[in-house]
Amino acid sequence: MWRQKEDSSSASDDGKVTLKVFSNLPDRKNGQGLVEQTIIDEYMKENPDVNIEVEALDEEAYKTKFKAYSMEGMPDVVSIWGQPAFLDEVVEAGVLAELNSDDYADYGFVEGSLNGYTYDGKLYGLPRNTDIGVFYYNQKMFEDNGWKVPETYDELLALAEDIKAEGIIPVAMDGGDGWPLACYLADVLYKLVGSDYSQIVSDAIESGDFSAPEIKEATQLMKDAADAGLFQNGYDSQDYATSQNLFTNGQAAMWYMGSWETSMATNEDIDESIRTNIRVFTMPTVEGGKAAATDISAWNGGGYAVSANSEVKEEAIKFLNYMYQPEKLSKYGWENGVGLSAQDQSEYMTGDETELQKQIVDLLANSTDLSGNPINDCGPSAFKTSIESEIQSVTNGTSSIDDFLSTIGASCK
Amino acid sequence: MKKLYSNKLVILSLVLPGLVLFLFAILAPICLSVYYGFTDYSGMGSYNMIGLENYKTLLQDPTLRIALRNSLYLALGFIFIQHPLALITAAVLDKLGGRGENFFRCVYFIPNVISVAVIAYLWKFIYNPDFGLLNNIIKAFGGKGDINWFSTDTAIWAVLIVLIWHGFGWGMLIYYTGIKNIDPVLYEAAAIDGANQTTTFLKITLPLMKPVIQVNVTMAVISALKQMETVYLLTNGGPGNSTQFTANYLYQQAFKAFKYGYGNAIGVIFIIICLLATVILNKIFEDREETKLKKLEKARAKGAAV
Repeated sequence: MWRQKEDSSSASDDGKVTLKVFSNLPDRKNGQGLVEQTIIDEYMKENPDVNIEVEALDEEAYKTKFKAYSMEGMPDVVSIWGQPAFLDEVVEAGVLAELNSDDYADYGFVEGSLNGYTYDGKLYGLPRNTDIGVFYYNQKMFEDNGWKVPETYDELLALAEDIKAEGIIPVAMDGGDGWPLACYLADVLYKLVGSDYSQIVSDAIESGDFSAPEIKEATQLMKDAADAGLFQNGYDSQDYATSQNLFTNGQAAMWYMGSWETSMATNEDIDESIRTNIRVFTMPTVEGGKAAATDISAWNGGGYAVSANSEVKEEAIKFLNYMYQPEKLSKYGWENGVGLSAQDQSEYMTGDETELQKQIVDLLANSTDLSGNPINDCGPSAFKTSIESEIQSVTNGTSSIDDFLSTIGASCK
Repeated sequence: MKKLYSNKLVILSLVLPGLVLFLFAILAPICLSVYYGFTDYSGMGSYNMIGLENYKTLLQDPTLRIALRNSLYLALGFIFIQHPLALITAAVLDKLGGRGENFFRCVYFIPNVISVAVIAYLWKFIYNPDFGLLNNIIKAFGGKGDINWFSTDTAIWAVLIVLIWHGFGWGMLIYYTGIKNIDPVLYEAAAIDGANQTTTFLKITLPLMKPVIQVNVTMAVISALKQMETVYLLTNGGPGNSTQFTANYLYQQAFKAFKYGYGNAIGVIFIIICLLATVILNKIFEDREETKLKKLEKARAKGAAV
C-alpha cells in the first residue's frame, strides 16, 4: 500500500482550493498512474490556486478504503468501475455526484462506453479505458512450430494438443483469481449467443436462474477446454503474475488476459525475442454460435467520478472534465502504451506504435459488435464473489455444472 | 509504597489504560458486530434490521462448514504433529549444549522471523507444478514431477504443511524455555538412579512441561481458528473454497461481497467459537493441573530426599 501526497503543507493557504484525488493507481511512475499524475501536475501548473492531494492504493485496498470513506466523507475525485458489481451499491448509497451528460458530447466517447456509468438514466462517472479480452500469443513460437492462429473453438482445443506435444503449456491462465476465468466464460458465452449476451446475462442475474441452455453450454465449453489441458497444470491456484511469467518466459504459448497488458511489448524486463513477438487474437468462433469472428469481447472498466458531498464539487468537476479532454487522458495514455481509452484515439497514432498496439487498435476498429461487461461484473458484488470462487470448482471438476449454476444463481437473491 | 497501592485512585489510574483499551478496542467493536449482524448493511448507505436472517443463512452456509472443518484439521495438525515435534526438538536441543544448541535454536526459529508474505510466496514457488522445487526434486529422482499440489483434494494439506512448518519455531522456543526452567537437580537424581534418556524425558521433562504444553496447545487452537494471512496470500481460500478459513471467509463476505451485515454475523459466531474453545480447553487442563501439582510436589520431595 503506497500513498503519495502532493504539497499537503500549503493546502490551507488563503484562497487555495484543495482537491483530494483518491486513485487505484499506486504506481505513479509507470503506465496509467504516470498518465494520471502528469495530468494532475499540469492542472496544478495551470491553476496555481488549486492544490491536488493524491492518495493511491492498489485495487483491493482501494475498494476497502472506498467503503470506509463512504461513511466518513469521500475525497473529491475518485476512481470507480462502471460495472453493476461496483457501481450499484455505491450509487444507491448516494456517494457519487450526478454529471451532466450534455457536457460530454464533444469528448469523443466511444459509442456505448457511458452505459456502464449510467444508473437510472443518470450519469455518475466517466470511463477511462476500453478493455478487450484477448489471447496473447508468441508469434515466433507459433511460426517455428507451424501452429496457426485458431479460427474456431475446436481448432483452439486441437491446437492445445499440438502445443502440449512439444512440452509447452498452451494457455497460461490466472485461475487463482477467478475473474479471468469468468471473463473467459463470458467470452465463450458471447461467441455462442452474440448480441443477446447482455440480455441473457441480465435476465439470469435478475431472476437468479442460470439454467438457460446457452449458459450451460458455455460453461461446458470452458470445462472442455480445461479438461483438454488448454490451461497449465494447477491453473486454478496460480495468480496473475505467475501466469504472466509463464507466458513471458516462453513456457506458455499463449496467455488469456485483457488488452491493458499491451505495454508488455515495450517492457524491457521481458526478453526481447519474446516481447517483440507478442501478438493477439480474440476468442475464436464457436460452432453454431451467433457471434462472428469480428464480434469481440470488450467493455469499459475503470473510470472516474466526483463525490456527491464534495465541498469543492465545482472545482472537482472542472478537473474531471480537464482530465477527459481528448488531448489529456486519451493522448497521454496512447503515448504511454497503456491500452485503449474509451475515447476516439485515432488522431494520436504516430506510426511508431508497436505491432501489438496496432493490432489491438485494428481489433477494435474492425469490430462489428462489442460484448459489454464480463459476466462476473454484471451482478451485485455478492454474485461477483460467488462466481469468481465457484468457477474454479466447476472448471477443475470438483462441482458439477448444474451445481455451479444454481450456486451462483442463489448468490443473486 | 504500600500506602500508595492501597489508594483506590492510584489503583484506578493504573488499571484505567488497560480497561479503556479493552472497552474501546475489544468490547465496543464486538457490540457493534453483534448489532450489525442483525442488519443487511452493505457497508455503505442505509440498512434494515433483518433479525436472525443472517444467522439462519449462516447455519446452512456450506463454506462456513468447510472453513470450520479446515480450522479443526489445522488445530489437530498443530496438536498432534507440530507440538510433539517441537517438544522433542526442544528436548534434544537442551541436551545438545554449546554452540550447536544456539545454532539450531536460531535455525528453527528463522521461519517465524520471516514475514508471512515472503513465506507465502516462497511456498507458492515451492509448490508450483511447472517450475516448483518439489516437482523438480521428484523429477531429479526419476519421477514425472507434474503433481498439482494445490488441486482441490490436496490443497488443504499443502496449506497445513506450510502453517505447521511456519509455527514450529515458535512452539519449540516456548518448550525450550520451559525445559531450561526445569531444575537440573532432578536430572542428576534420575541419572544417579540409572534412568536412561527416554525415561528421563517421559518421567521428568514431560510431566513438568504440562503448564507449558497447556499454554501452547490453547494458543495453537486459537491460532488455528484465527488463521487468515498465510491462507489469504497462499490460496485465498481456493481452488473453490477448499482451503477456506473462517477469518478469510469473513473478510471476503464483508469487504468483497459488500455483505457487511453477514460478515459481522460470521464474526459473532467466530467469537463464540473461540471463547467456547478456550473455555473447553481450560476445563480439560484444569483437573489435570491439580493432579500435576501434587505430582510435582511429590517429585520435588523425592528429588530432595535423594
